[in-house]
Amino acid sequence: MMMRSGQQLLLPASPVFIWTSLVMALLVNMLPLGRVPWMPDFLALVLVFWTVHQPLRVGIGIAFMFGLAMDVHQTSLLGQHAFSYTLLSFLAALIQRRLLWFKVPLQAMQVLPLFAAAHAAEIALRLLGGGIFPGWIVLLAPLGEALLWPLASVLLLAPQLRAPDRDENRPL
Amino acid sequence: MALGTLDRSLPPFFNQGPSVLSKLVFFGALSLFLMVADARFNMTRPIRAAIATALTPVQWLAVQPVRAVRDASRYFIDLNQAQSESAQAKERLALQSVRAGQVEQLAQENNRLRQLLALKEQLALPVMAAEVLYDAADPYSRKVIIDRGQAHQVDLGSPVLDESGVLGQVTRVHPLVSEVTLVIDRDLAIPVLNVRTGARSVAYGDASVGGSGMELRFMGSNADVQEGDLLTTSGVDGVYPPGLPVARVSRIEHRAESAFSKIYCMPLALTSGARHVIVVKPATADLALRPPPGSPVAPGQRGAVK
Repeated sequence: MMMRSGQQLLLPASPVFIWTSLVMALLVNMLPLGRVPWMPDFLALVLVFWTVHQPLRVGIGIAFMFGLAMDVHQTSLLGQHAFSYTLLSFLAALIQRRLLWFKVPLQAMQVLPLFAAAHAAEIALRLLGGGIFPGWIVLLAPLGEALLWPLASVLLLAPQLRAPDRDENRPL
Repeated sequence: MALGTLDRSLPPFFNQGPSVLSKLVFFGALSLFLMVADARFNMTRPIRAAIATALTPVQWLAVQPVRAVRDASRYFIDLNQAQSESAQAKERLALQSVRAGQVEQLAQENNRLRQLLALKEQLALPVMAAEVLYDAADPYSRKVIIDRGQAHQVDLGSPVLDESGVLGQVTRVHPLVSEVTLVIDRDLAIPVLNVRTGARSVAYGDASVGGSGMELRFMGSNADVQEGDLLTTSGVDGVYPPGLPVARVSRIEHRAESAFSKIYCMPLALTSGARHVIVVKPATADLALRPPPGSPVAPGQRGAVK
């Protein structure tokens, strides 16, 4: 096993926590905040995070299923989010072994093109299908997702950063 | 330290299942197939209905915090504002009750005249109240979700009104909720009648104009249209009952290079922020000619999209 020097050994991720975080991200995406084109896609962020950190548990199939759920919720073309999440998950699986050698801010810079590619695929598909162009402000969405990457790294890795053996001096 | 504590094990060499690339090809092709089936052949209704029903509890959960915040903020409205709103509502009620009295008499008179002329009687419209659950977040279309579905006998293609005009049309019916395409969506067209001149035309959704607008297409540059003209449904489509207010002409651009002028209209209904709406049964009962049941929106819509 190889890893970056100075990196802490992680506890195993609990599947319950992975699924809870995915469903919570779906919930956040479903908040009825109206039509906000620049809103970062939290579900995409969490999916990429788990594809990178737990490639054996979360992969393209799960991304596809969550994409279908988003499509039905947003009343968009059935398969639009499924396609973009599939693409996103594939790209994340490609860079997965390399990405974890970098520090978190550099990771955020490397996932930015992934999110941009997923959004570009979505826009291209919808404009081909005769949709209304949502305006250039939609370019802010991948940027927001990349900026949220450090936050996701802290929150989603927190349960794995606990000490393996509890004692009184380190309650967590 | 217990066994299995280390998180990163080397991936097993032989039982990894299909490769990532083959999964990408499979799921990518599947989603492309779904998109084509959805957009061109309307074959995905059962899948959508199943997923929508499974998602209903999650959606309910997601609506709650936003609704709580909205209700809480309404709770703290100034007393003055509440009182003035109540006074305005009473005033409007008084005005409307005068008109309602006249309408009763006019309807009776109209009925008698229609009998004299041996015309068909106008039927009262069966309506159903519904509440808007949320605006669909899809930025490429303009839709809202209402809380009535197949279980409440909502028909595909039913017109949806709010208190000031036509809001849109039901374009998908799920078991518990339905999707309403708003009049400003690019794919929706409504046959309208200019009340001042009696000229019939078709209004198309044109959301690109500042986010909420409609457009009267194919009107010659010499057509008699003025700013402020009221457009109502003409009833020739067999979907919308005649006489419902739709929009008001807001701006007319005469263009030298074209035989048509560009006519912008503002919809009268609240296309963002409507809360309580009315679903009307489509007025197909008293028409011999009706659109095929598969087509959810007004005829001519597919071919006319830019």
